[in-house]
Amino acid sequence: MPVTTTELAIRVASARASGTALRIVGGGSWLDAGRPCEGETLHVGECAGIVEYVPGDLTLTARAGTTLAELNATTAAHGQWLALDPAAGIRATIGATIATASDGPLAMSMGRVRDVVLGLECITGTGEIIRAGGRVVKNVAGFDLVRLHTGAWGTLGVITEVSMRLRARPDVDCAFVIARDARASLESRLASLGDLPIAPLALELLSTALAQALDVHDGVCLLVRLAGNEDRVHAQAAELQALGDVREVPVNTFERLSMLEPASALVARVTHTATQFAHTWRHVSDHLDASECWQPLMRGTVTRGLLRVVIPVDEGDGEPAPRAPNDATTRVPRAHAANWPEFVRRIAPPGAHVAWERLPDHAWAHVPSAVNDRLSAGLRRALDPAHILNRGLLGESVADAADLARAGRHGLP
Amino acid sequence: MPSDHTTSAVATARATRVAAGSAIAAALAQIVGPRWVKSRAAELTAYDADGLPGYRATPSLVVLPGSRDEICAVVRLLAQHQIPFVPRGAGTGLSGGALADGAVVIGLNRLTRIHNIDAGNRIAHVEPGVVNASLARTLAPFGLYYAPDPSSQAACTIGGNVAENAGGPHCLKYGVTLNHIAAITVCLPVGELITLGSPVSEPDGYDLCGLFIGSEGCFGIATDIWVRLLPVPPDVRTLLADFTSVTDAARAVSAIIATGIVPAALEMMDQATIRAVEASIYAAGYPVDAAAVLLAEVDGLSIGLDADVRVIEQCCRDAGARNVRIATASDDRAKLWQGRKKAFGALGRIASHLVVQDAVVPRTKLPEVLERIHDIGERHNVRVCNVFHAGDGNLHPNISYDANDPVQADRVHAAMSEIMRACIDVGGTITGEHGVGLDKLGYMDDLFSEPSLAAMCAVRGVFDPEHRANPGKVVPVHSCREWNARWNLQGLP
Repeated sequence: MPVTTTELAIRVASARASGTALRIVGGGSWLDAGRPCEGETLHVGECAGIVEYVPGDLTLTARAGTTLAELNATTAAHGQWLALDPAAGIRATIGATIATASDGPLAMSMGRVRDVVLGLECITGTGEIIRAGGRVVKNVAGFDLVRLHTGAWGTLGVITEVSMRLRARPDVDCAFVIARDARASLESRLASLGDLPIAPLALELLSTALAQALDVHDGVCLLVRLAGNEDRVHAQAAELQALGDVREVPVNTFERLSMLEPASALVARVTHTATQFAHTWRHVSDHLDASECWQPLMRGTVTRGLLRVVIPVDEGDGEPAPRAPNDATTRVPRAHAANWPEFVRRIAPPGAHVAWERLPDHAWAHVPSAVNDRLSAGLRRALDPAHILNRGLLGESVADAADLARAGRHGLP
Repeated sequence: MPSDHTTSAVATARATRVAAGSAIAAALAQIVGPRWVKSRAAELTAYDADGLPGYRATPSLVVLPGSRDEICAVVRLLAQHQIPFVPRGAGTGLSGGALADGAVVIGLNRLTRIHNIDAGNRIAHVEPGVVNASLARTLAPFGLYYAPDPSSQAACTIGGNVAENAGGPHCLKYGVTLNHIAAITVCLPVGELITLGSPVSEPDGYDLCGLFIGSEGCFGIATDIWVRLLPVPPDVRTLLADFTSVTDAARAVSAIIATGIVPAALEMMDQATIRAVEASIYAAGYPVDAAAVLLAEVDGLSIGLDADVRVIEQCCRDAGARNVRIATASDDRAKLWQGRKKAFGALGRIASHLVVQDAVVPRTKLPEVLERIHDIGERHNVRVCNVFHAGDGNLHPNISYDANDPVQADRVHAAMSEIMRACIDVGGTITGEHGVGLDKLGYMDDLFSEPSLAAMCAVRGVFDPEHRANPGKVVPVHSCREWNARWNLQGLP
């Protein structure tokens, strides 16, 4: 199994020569995400290990297949951490986390994936090894291909090594649950929270089903994470009391958020402005209700105006199956699954953006591709001219298909 | 100093056509009005340099559009005639990125409107010519601010900040321009308008907005920029610590970073800089016998701030600080900052030219690199003054000199070149916030492999297939030729 960058590059170059599509696989957590994507498996999970870690610099370089669990363990020994908490949890590889730009509740204060990555090494679709960025925390040398590869889902290159920024672990780190006061509207509740002199590390609104699954509350509630020096955390915790029903919960409640996501689910990320957050939350809730998706596992980062919506489905045929409305496990009824175009289109309120992460294969046809513009297609052509990397994962444009046909005719070397 | 100061032969030939063709000037005048097209030699002189000393390049024409539509019309006209152009903001850039050798300069200083401030969502929609400091003033009544604060903020524009991915003292905690831009509307070099990113949501797909930031005018012209804003921190403390050795000060930096406290700023000035400041009208009362001073700032919620201050003070004292001054009131804090803010002004008074270098090293390498810089300066008989963003290892070694004296200039160039290579040797990079422009082109080969540079060229080609936008900058021309040759062989565009 190839583990060095050179070995992987040879695989890519030969796949390019024969026009063979490659499906990049790291830890395997993302195989059911994105559109149907066929191809010979290119394993990068074995391409793992920490390359350089200088605690004094708060930077770390690791091979793409290194898991977040390993990075956490190594950095924790020096009182540091990689402040990324993607939905795939700590089993996720760092390569996949960056390729999918997958972040979590921490992003509101610690930055999104694009803010954490300093540099990377990757293999383009022509089998060439390139580097972008560097290992230092500030760098504007050359065009920013680091940002380009972050969130490109491996369609512009196979990420093999990554340098990232670390943080020192806070002295105190704790979590609180704030029950939603049924008499107050969500807007006024969020407004009074916004008025408090607090600066949370993370702040998530949880749906009833998610709060129940976490075993922290029996209804919609806020999950707040406070961190910093002792003075600061205690003072902020005291401020929270103004909101009424506030209870401390184990800080690993945040980690458990990702562990609760079922293996088989429909997943969407809905974003709008922060001021529209309550409206977006209600719209999505109403839509799921109307679609008889009872009690979805839903959470939202208020300050980002972002919602993560998870609707479990039956494994077997991938089709959602009906359940009783009072069942804590959510299901999309089979009858409604046929109405995918409507379901997919109407989940986001006007002006909001929905990015689907997981859908049944046939439903993707109703979701427009996010890389169909001229520039994105051009970038794809520039870095993966034969379209062999994760082909189809983000949706091929017509121009792409024409190029493929042309590339085939010309018999690329 | 890099020798790759070449605009391609093609560009030069086209430029000659421009000079010959007053028809172009007339057509541009039709779009923007005759007042806003500059073609006389005396007018062009004002645009023949930027903040990089020792370089001059005269544009063939300067055009100053007054709106997004005019930008597009100008760019389309230039595209029709295959004329290279250089977008320009305030011309304060320090890497020669705004130099236009025969190309048309598109000046964006007339575009100074702040279209909208959405205080609730902490986002402002601005034109590219808005001056960084004037945005700050406009935002003050809202209790908001825009975090990136380059030293040139009194003059530099948001468009220029986007082009260079500008930083500043406060990006240690808050990040550089990249971290504060939600969306950009771009006029591509073919004249097509496109919005990258989104002001109202987080789109999926490729991060084209992130890719555009720091592209140094090579990917097109930003016509509209949506900047993210931050609430003004409720409380701030500033510390000034002085040290008898640079190494001690550098050790204090590492110790502070290791505590987990992220200061809003952590700046260092060496003795040469302190003395220059104290000898100038900007004298701030820094101790002239100190080998280095460290300026640290923490901000945020009032509670817990004093605890942070105590930790930082202890780090400084443990590292050997002689004295630590702490300021809370805004006047007192301004006094501590005065020397740092005016350092470049003071250095500029020493000689006719000041080269402000920019490189980044891993923070733990600061003591070693500062020592090497000192040795290099001595060897080349130039006086290097260091004033820099210590917290993120972003060095600014500066040399005051007379660029018109070729012997002096050669010594300065030789010293700077050695300093850059010393930074690369320890795993650093050639620019943290000034950009590559023309000045750093010669170091790109040291930093990136040929395929890496070729990939950058290919990406540029997607935005600008003819390489007419800021030609000859950022990526050495030979890399592009090789990439193009490879594509041509394969029969692909």
